[in-house]
Amino acid sequence: MTDPDKIRKDITSNIARISSEGADYVDARYYMEDSSETLVLYDGDLEANDTTVQSGVGIRVLWNGAWGFAATSDPSGIHSCFDRAAQNARTASELVRVPVSMGRLDPVRGSFSTPVEVDPFTVDLKDKMAFLTKLDDGLKDDFVLKRVVYANFMKRRIHFQNSEGSEIRKDLVHTFGMMMAMALDTDGEMQRRSMNLYTTGDGSAGWELMADPKQFLENTDRIRSELAQLVRAEPLEYGRRTVILLPGQGHLQVHETIGHPLELDRILGYELSYAGGSFVDLDSFGRLQYGSEKLSASSYGGIANSPGSFGFDDYGTPERDYLLIDRGLLVNALTSRAMVNEANERAGRKVFKHIGGAARASAFYRAPIDRMTNVNILPGNDGTLENIISATDDGIIVDNPVSWSIGSNREHFHFGCEIAWEVKDGRRTRILRNPTYQGHTLDFYRSLSAVGDSSTWRVEQVNNCGKGEPNQVMQIGHGVPVVKFDDVISGERK
Amino acid sequence: MLDANIRSILMQVRDEAAGEGIQASFLLHHEKSHLMRIGNNSVSLNTSEDLLRLDIVVTDGRRQGSQTFLGAVGSADTVREVLASAREKARLATPKTYQPIPDEVQVTVSEDSQFDIDLADLDPAVKAGAYGGIFSELGEEYNYSGSWSSGAMEIYLLTTSNSNEAYHRGTDQLFSVVLKHPEKKWELTHQQTGWRAGDFDTGRTVAEISKLLPAYENSPGYKVEPGEYTVLFGAPALAEIVEMAAWTGLSGRSWEEKQSWTAKSSPGQSILGENISIADDPGNPETFMFGFDNCGRKRRIFPLVGNGDLLSLMYDSGTAARYGREPTGHDTGSPSLVMDTGFGPGDPLEAVMGMGRVLYIPALHYVNIPSRSKGIFTGSSRFNAVLVENGEIVSPIFSTRITDSFQNVLGNAAVISSRSESVNGSNTYGRRTPVAMSVPSYMVSEGVKITDSADSF
Repeated sequence: MTDPDKIRKDITSNIARISSEGADYVDARYYMEDSSETLVLYDGDLEANDTTVQSGVGIRVLWNGAWGFAATSDPSGIHSCFDRAAQNARTASELVRVPVSMGRLDPVRGSFSTPVEVDPFTVDLKDKMAFLTKLDDGLKDDFVLKRVVYANFMKRRIHFQNSEGSEIRKDLVHTFGMMMAMALDTDGEMQRRSMNLYTTGDGSAGWELMADPKQFLENTDRIRSELAQLVRAEPLEYGRRTVILLPGQGHLQVHETIGHPLELDRILGYELSYAGGSFVDLDSFGRLQYGSEKLSASSYGGIANSPGSFGFDDYGTPERDYLLIDRGLLVNALTSRAMVNEANERAGRKVFKHIGGAARASAFYRAPIDRMTNVNILPGNDGTLENIISATDDGIIVDNPVSWSIGSNREHFHFGCEIAWEVKDGRRTRILRNPTYQGHTLDFYRSLSAVGDSSTWRVEQVNNCGKGEPNQVMQIGHGVPVVKFDDVISGERK
Repeated sequence: MLDANIRSILMQVRDEAAGEGIQASFLLHHEKSHLMRIGNNSVSLNTSEDLLRLDIVVTDGRRQGSQTFLGAVGSADTVREVLASAREKARLATPKTYQPIPDEVQVTVSEDSQFDIDLADLDPAVKAGAYGGIFSELGEEYNYSGSWSSGAMEIYLLTTSNSNEAYHRGTDQLFSVVLKHPEKKWELTHQQTGWRAGDFDTGRTVAEISKLLPAYENSPGYKVEPGEYTVLFGAPALAEIVEMAAWTGLSGRSWEEKQSWTAKSSPGQSILGENISIADDPGNPETFMFGFDNCGRKRRIFPLVGNGDLLSLMYDSGTAARYGREPTGHDTGSPSLVMDTGFGPGDPLEAVMGMGRVLYIPALHYVNIPSRSKGIFTGSSRFNAVLVENGEIVSPIFSTRITDSFQNVLGNAAVISSRSESVNGSNTYGRRTPVAMSVPSYMVSEGVKITDSADSF
């Protein structure tokens, strides 16, 4: 799509046209640029060297309380795309028992840019390859059977405009990375050890994040060393014990059992045909003891350089920093404008006082839905990882997911991890392989007995969160400390 | 049919590239998709997409690069730009340690045997009307959600290896409705699939859900304690297990790299029960039939497991090149998996008569693989799951987790239905790529491990 000025003018005139025809609300997201680059080194061979380039406009029309959506990548098709979105909304309005209500909001004008020092798309492919090859070299060893080094860069320039006069410009850049080594254990089964690119919450999110020696370059030896121990390790035996989650695992626990159940569209039943529902209902807010008093969780968290930070959501609402869980008590959800209005109406009280700014779409050709932003556990007062270990009699420390499976209402879960370290009498003793643990969400969080301090906290990045129909893959952040849970079923029954 | 101008542009740029000695493939994907989503008895989203994607892969000796463009292909210059980007990426790439196998359209193909203009042009109002009809037939007191995805897609593939063209056009749909009790919280669902508008029948959904409603309305639900059970898997659950088993155990890459649960077995050796046979059959009309893969290779019936024995493994082009094998036509989104039927009666409840307590789990939710090497999968029951005693439905069951191995579940099948069923496995994450499997309408497995259950549905 070329000539952005003309396209923006077309959008303005078409929003006015559709509004004048009777639409309740109209918005448009114009992706001037949506680029991604994926590089995968597999045993040193460049197996993926792919770039995707796309641009286009997504139009949403609310008509008599019903949404219609249409998208086009053809600059000459914008007028007809508005017509199609409006027609889709009119058709939808024929079957509406719960009309969408947007309420009234003042126009919002603003912009957001991901803090970036070096735009990854300006780095020469040769330089990227040299860096990734160096990482790959660092993972080599005689016992290592497979090595994977992965980098993914995303860049989006988005113009948002709606019929209320809001206009927002977003320039988003995300940098993802992963390195992994694999080897056969003593039973001939493949084990793996990996590490993902993370942030500390400060700084920027461009190529410099990937190239920061503290991230990957200084960790290749550790990955190899842990894998070497893992392949000689005993499997974890079934039993109840304390489980300590490092952020590499804790972020997925938060993602699946705090983030998803607190998406308001799930709570209201709009995801039942695909992702599922939630054990949380509107009566839960302010009343449900979600976890122990050590559990406080937030949305956004003021973290600028995370994939879950975007300034303004795809309704044009500013992203907000607020608590979801306050010392164990459930107090808020991940919310968007239309869902907040519906929830408050249904509950007959103001369950949600503010709009969370969590409506996001994965591309111009998808309509926004309630998503996670950065869903975080706040650092606690139980010290460092070593402090937490020293206060543990019988447990395991686990890191990095291998598998995750969660009940449809997020009420129970089963996770498999890459590695476990046994803890006995306050000391790490040995590495164990094939660790798994399972539990019921509320019981699990109520057994939270220690939360690490800020030295243990980091923002893990997720670039593959799936939800919605049509399906959408979203990028998210999770700031999490080390967390410790007691009396958890771990390992598999014989 | 494919836009003549786009075809002409692609052929022109392909010929130019071939003239310059560039090794390249051009894959055009065009979709017209529609999806209606239902939530809280309303249309919550009514969305249309008309998207065109062009993938160009350039192979320069042992170097490769690719560029995907999503937008309007209105001129040869647009295609030339995409080609130039892919070429530049290939030029700057590090060479592989093996020689990639060039893409080549083996034979000219033009197929549209599963294209239905009525489905391609289906008026969204028809969908809204059908949902409205279901609500009123089953009762407005319930909470309904669902989705109905339908659309047309076409794929056009050219390579500089020769002048052959491969073209595919098809339509597909996946309908679902979920009925939830607003207070008791249980959920019932029904799905329909097909490639023709006429494949959908409102009455079928009403009838299937009506069969289960009394059991759900009249029972508070049953919590299954961990242990070993006889489980009657419905077609969607069986399809998911077979698909996961194939993905983790029957792909050449997993096997070569010793990551699969079949890694210690060789072709000819027993890996599953003797009553289990699985093939990739792109000619089976219960699947969405694709006659060629994304690298231009002809796809044909490909036996994977025969009477429990490992017969062959699926090799995509990259894996074949890396390990010195022949590609088997598996550069696809998903194969057309077909599991052979057995000899069980058509009615699943009749099949478990005399078996005592049986868990009937029609579908699995959120299946994942804690151990590929051991073939262990885990997932939970969701919709329509009930406890059956001597062939009679006793009670719905609460959300129940299975954690077991493919070898056990597909190695202890006591009864397999004599009737097949098409199960649509498509997702809508990326480009429209319809996938369906043909599996027996049920399978009864003994000694299945139940590892957890919730206190609610």
